[in-house]
Amino acid sequence: MNLKRRQKYLQIALNNTPYEAREIIAQLPFSERILIEAGTPLIKIYGKRVISEIKYGIREGTYIVADTKCADLALREVRMVAEAGAQAVTCLGVAPVETIDRFIEECQKNGVDSMIDMMNADDPVSILKKLKNPPDIVVLHRGVDETEFSKEKQIPFYQINQVKDNFDVLVSVAGGDTIDEVQRAVFNGADIVVVWKAFYQSTAETAKLAEEFLKEIR
Amino acid sequence: MLDKKKKYLQIAFNRSLDEIETMINSLPLSDRIIIEVGYPLIKTYGTRAISTIKTLWERRVLGYSVGTVEATEMKPFQLYKAGYGSPLLDLLLKSIEKRKIENPKREFSEKKEIALTPYIVADLKCMDRAFTEVEAAASAGASAATCLGLAPLETIDEFIKRCEEIGIDSMLDMMNIEYPFEILGKLKKPPKIVMLHRGVDEGENREKEIPYQEIERIKSVYDDVLIAVAGGETIREVITGAFNDADIIVVWRIFNENPEKITSLCNEFLKEIK
Repeated sequence: MNLKRRQKYLQIALNNTPYEAREIIAQLPFSERILIEAGTPLIKIYGKRVISEIKYGIREGTYIVADTKCADLALREVRMVAEAGAQAVTCLGVAPVETIDRFIEECQKNGVDSMIDMMNADDPVSILKKLKNPPDIVVLHRGVDETEFSKEKQIPFYQINQVKDNFDVLVSVAGGDTIDEVQRAVFNGADIVVVWKAFYQSTAETAKLAEEFLKEIR
Repeated sequence: MLDKKKKYLQIAFNRSLDEIETMINSLPLSDRIIIEVGYPLIKTYGTRAISTIKTLWERRVLGYSVGTVEATEMKPFQLYKAGYGSPLLDLLLKSIEKRKIENPKREFSEKKEIALTPYIVADLKCMDRAFTEVEAAASAGASAATCLGLAPLETIDEFIKRCEEIGIDSMLDMMNIEYPFEILGKLKKPPKIVMLHRGVDEGENREKEIPYQEIERIKSVYDDVLIAVAGGETIREVITGAFNDADIIVVWRIFNENPEKITSLCNEFLKEIK
């Protein structure tokens, strides 16, 4: 795995345009604890080149997550992302078990970290139990549409320890907009906290959050 | 946009855009062909894949080949004649003239009277952020887009709503769902098309079958919903799909693995699913 256990990471998701992505990246402090995510909409609109473009603009060695949300044809997807230069790639936990198994195996072969996104999966532990090998990272979160239309749905913090008690994996959760919310996620056991810039926020606010994270959370 | 009384063949393209150009130029002209911009293609090229493939198919439908510009087409813009320009230009013009003589039939004679509107499906497999994804596909020129039945209900409802507002068909992909009928029951409104699907990775697990029995069950309750089946690749499986009353048969592997046979394969499939 390309990440260190016992280290806490902040993952910044870039979802709007390659221009905005570059703008945010330029203001971020450099640290191996800051991970950059090429979001699903960005990949679907601009294609895999967006991964190479992001990589081009940042310091060598920065960890890039390609949020492709693989649902089928795992082999092709992992190879494509590895070629584009990403260090991690995501697959849906609700995808067929054959797809997830192939995905994890192919990630291992290509030296890319496997992330299984448990969006809309009721019981992540039972999905993980069906797999031949566990992934490197399990992502627990609610979708953007779910959160917007069903306000009562919360970030599933209680699942973090359920997963960690059963499997030797890192857990990533979506963590909100403020440093307090990020701290809450870490306190609940998350290894990686994912944040993204809301459209009403300035890029400077995202950069400030990253700085606070590096200072406050060790 | 699609006719309920017809049976369609949906071809999912997954090779490189250059190869797809040649394949599309070999397709027979039929209003029963649906072109799908495959999910790996969208991730590789972005929504540009949708607009490029749409342009290729539109040009093919309009009757002129893409990639090889015919000399006749260039006539109104001809500024030079052989012997007057640079040596390189002369050589090019001479070769065009020669090709025209050798291949005189290829002028505008291929233009046929056909009434068909290109129908392009963007296989987005939307899982979240439905509004943004539908907008992106529609602005690239898609006639329909896909959403996963595995997605949160909020996403599916938003997807169907936005497709309707924007004027494209919503296609709900039921991959890895045992009882698609139950998902439909939970939605505010049904989609235009339901796709019963066995994934490519799943397809190698011989025990998993396309749930044909769900077709009648869905159709008996949702009158206006069309059913597509995906994951069967042989002629026999295609016939089974059509026999079980599927409206759209989606094929992928056989076409992408045998691009040189695309014309005959297409004709054969269209004949079988009438």
